[in-house]
Amino acid sequence: MSEFQGCQLPEDLHYDLDYVWARPEEDGTFTIGVTDPAQTMSGRLQKARIKKVGTHLEAGRHVATLESGKWAGGVPVPFAGAVIARNDALLENPHLINIDPYGDAWIARVRPDDPATALERLHTGPDAVAALQAWIKRYDVQCMRCSD
Amino acid sequence: MSSIDQIMQHDHERLDALLEACATAVQESRWQDAAGLLEQFRRGIVEGHMFVEETMLFPAFEALEGDGEHSLTALLRKGHQDLRVFFQEMAEAIEAQDAEEFNDFLSTVQTILRQHDAREEAELYPHLADAMPDHGAAAAQRMADGQGEKGHE
Repeated sequence: MSEFQGCQLPEDLHYDLDYVWARPEEDGTFTIGVTDPAQTMSGRLQKARIKKVGTHLEAGRHVATLESGKWAGGVPVPFAGAVIARNDALLENPHLINIDPYGDAWIARVRPDDPATALERLHTGPDAVAALQAWIKRYDVQCMRCSD
Repeated sequence: MSSIDQIMQHDHERLDALLEACATAVQESRWQDAAGLLEQFRRGIVEGHMFVEETMLFPAFEALEGDGEHSLTALLRKGHQDLRVFFQEMAEAIEAQDAEEFNDFLSTVQTILRQHDAREEAELYPHLADAMPDHGAAAAQRMADGQGEKGHE
């Protein structure tokens, strides 16, 4: 696990180099969430809306919207696909994203329309970590994790 | 002529009113009006307001600060990029006559705009007159021209 300005950046995930991480699952779907620097930028989240299971999204459209007292934004999907699961716990307690953005606070699972090209807009490994470090510097983020 | 910071601030208010009018049209199921108002809002904000900021105001502020892209303008540019996607999604919700979906996006967009506009008004606009050699006259003219064009539509 890489760390930069307090932000955790797992090297095995795939990133859109902005807010989103994606993890390929064995069944061909992808679990999607937001990164540690993104959750820090957002502040303590108070509201989460996640698209219903079965919703089809084009690449770049928002699978979820998140709001805190000081920030609001969307979670775009990096490829076209259908939502096959969503993390309902976040609807009740969006603050979980501030606590465990790479674990319990995953946002949705999406089945890509074209699995062969799903990773095309995503980046992983040391190159992705370097690009995310540049993102953290650009927006002047210093990560903090909430414990409860 | 008003100063560039006043002009930009007034444009925030004008755009907020347009978006509010669009939301009212959605609530009253006047879908055609809503589509027209959203397009008027989108053109005003994307092709007018954001265009002037990204091509004239942000570069002037960055030059004043002297370190290339500043974290403030980076964040504001990113806000613009995120908003463009939301505007498209709002248009699709109107096309689908889906008020619930529209209202979800509206709530997020209004929160983004409130925070984004407050930051511009507090941290960017007050420095513009000093940052631009003509004190913002060309940008003010571009804003006036854009609003004039809309008036003739």
